[in-house]
Amino acid sequence: MIRNKSIGALFASPWIVSFAVFWFFPLVYSLVLGFSDYRLLRPSYAWVGLENYFTLFSDQSFLVSLKNTFIFVIGTIPVTTAIALGLALLVNRNFVGRTIFRSAYFMPSVTSMIVVALVFTNLYSRGGYIYLLAEMLGFSPPPNGFLLSSSTALYAIMAMDVWMSVGYYMLLFLAGLKSIPVELYEAAEVNGAGAWQKFRYITLPLLKPVALFIIIINTIKSFQVFVEIFVMTRGRYGTSTAVYFIYEAGLSHFEFGYASAAAYVLFIIIAVFSLIQFRLFRQRPIW
Amino acid sequence: MVKFFKYTILILILLVMVFPLLWMFRISFMPADQGLSLSDFMSMAFTFDIYRDIFRGGGMVRYFLNSALVGLAVTAGNILFCFMTGYGLSRYKIIGQRFWFYSIIFVLMIPVHIIIIPLYLLVFKLGLYDTYAALILPFLVSPIGVFMVKQYIDSLPPSVEEAARMDGAGEFRILFKIVMPLCKPVLAVLAIQVFLVNWNSFLYPFILTSSDSLRTLPVGLALYQGHQAIDWPHLMAGSSLAVVPVLVIFWLFQKQIVSGITAGAIKQ
Repeated sequence: MIRNKSIGALFASPWIVSFAVFWFFPLVYSLVLGFSDYRLLRPSYAWVGLENYFTLFSDQSFLVSLKNTFIFVIGTIPVTTAIALGLALLVNRNFVGRTIFRSAYFMPSVTSMIVVALVFTNLYSRGGYIYLLAEMLGFSPPPNGFLLSSSTALYAIMAMDVWMSVGYYMLLFLAGLKSIPVELYEAAEVNGAGAWQKFRYITLPLLKPVALFIIIINTIKSFQVFVEIFVMTRGRYGTSTAVYFIYEAGLSHFEFGYASAAAYVLFIIIAVFSLIQFRLFRQRPIW
Repeated sequence: MVKFFKYTILILILLVMVFPLLWMFRISFMPADQGLSLSDFMSMAFTFDIYRDIFRGGGMVRYFLNSALVGLAVTAGNILFCFMTGYGLSRYKIIGQRFWFYSIIFVLMIPVHIIIIPLYLLVFKLGLYDTYAALILPFLVSPIGVFMVKQYIDSLPPSVEEAARMDGAGEFRILFKIVMPLCKPVLAVLAIQVFLVNWNSFLYPFILTSSDSLRTLPVGLALYQGHQAIDWPHLMAGSSLAVVPVLVIFWLFQKQIVSGITAGAIKQ
C-alpha cells in the first residue's frame, strides 16, 4: 500500500507546530530564563547562573509557599482517594436511583473552580452555612470566618478541594471496578470467601492500576493548586502556594527570571514525586 | 433495614454535594439591597431584579459571549486538528513518528502551570497579548484529544480506507469523507471535553488578556468587584450563568463525558 510520507506529515502538522511553539519552546525558554535576571522594563539582562536558585531557597515566602503546597498535596490526596473509593463501592451495585446519585456526586467536578470557590467563600464566611454548622457542632470557628484566619484558611480550601474532586475519582474507580471479572468473585464465593475477604483479596489488588493512575494525576494537579487560592484569599492568611508564588513573582512583580526558576523547582519536585510513585507501586504491593 | 441505612447515607452525601450549587442559585434571586444574611435559604424574598440588571447590559453578558465565542472556536479547531493529527500519526509512517507520539505522552505528564511565564512572554512578543487570538491559538490542538483520536483510529480496521484508495479516492477525500464519519463517537467525546475545559478555564485567559472587554466569564467573575462589600446576588447570578450551560451539557452528554474521563484510566 502507498504511504505518502509528506501527506502524513501534513496531517500531523497541527500537533507538530503546536508542540513546538506552545510546549517545547516555552519549556526551554523557561529553563534559560531561570538563569537570567530578566524582568520587565529592563533593557538588557545578564546571566546570573544559579543565583536565582540560591535566592529562592533563602526566600522565606517561597519556602512557605512550598510548605503550603506540600501540606495541600499530602493532606488532600489520601482523603480524596479514600472517599472516592468509598463512594465508588457505594454506588457500584445496581439499585434504584443509582444514576441520580452517581451524577449528583460527580456534578461538582464539572462546574467551574471559580464558581465553586466563590460559593464556598460565601459558605465559609461569618454567618455562612458552614460557619453556622461548625458552631452548631460545638466548634468555635474564627470570628471573621474560616478564610480570614491563618489557622484555618488553608485547611478550609483543602476541604473544598476534596469536596469538588471526589466525584471525578469515583468515576475512575467505578471504571476500574467494572473491569474486574465477575468470575473471580464467583470463584471466591464457591470457596467460601466472605465480603471482606473478597474486597481485600480481589477488589483492592485489582484496583491498584486505577489507584496509581488516580494518585499520579491528582499529585500533578494538586501541586499546581492556584485558582482557589487566587479567588478565596489572594495568597494571604498562610495560603500562598508554589504556583501562586510563581504567578506573583512573574506576573505581578514581573521578575520573569526569578519566577521561571521557581517554576523549574516545582517542575522537578513534581517529576520526582511522580517517579517515586511509579516505583513504589510497581515494585511491591502496597496493600 | 440495611437498605434504609444505605439510602440515608446516599441521600446525606447527595445533599452535601448539591447544596452549594442550590445555594448559589438561591442567592441569585435575592434582592441586592436588603442586606440578607449569608444563610437565608428559606427566606421568602425573591426577585428577578438581579438577572434583569445583568441582562440590561452589565459586563456579565459580554463575558458570557466571550466565553461562548472562545469555547466554540477552540472546540471547532480541536475537532479538525486533533482528528487530522490523530489520523496522520495512526495511519502514516512519518519522520519521527515515535517522537511525536511520545511528545504527546510527555506533554500530558507536564505540569501545565509551570510554563505560564514563558507562554505569557511568547504571546506578548508575537503581538497577540490581549487579543482573542491569545485566548484561542494556544489551545487549538489539545494533547489528550490527539491521543484519544489516535487510539481510536488504531482500533479501526484500515480495510475501508484501502478499498477507497483502490477506487482512486484522494487522501483528503478519504480523510474527511470516509474516516471522519467513522470517528464521530470519539470526536463527540473530544468536543464536549474540550468545550467544558475551555469554558471553565481561568488561569490562561486571566494572564493572556488585560482589558475588560476580552474577559471570559471565569475571569470576569474572579475579578468582579462590588463597590464596598461583596455583592453576592450579582456575583452568584453571574456564577449561575457560568454553571447553567455546563449543567445542561452534563445532563445531555453524561455518557460521553464519562467515557472521555475513563478512557485514559483503563488504557493505563
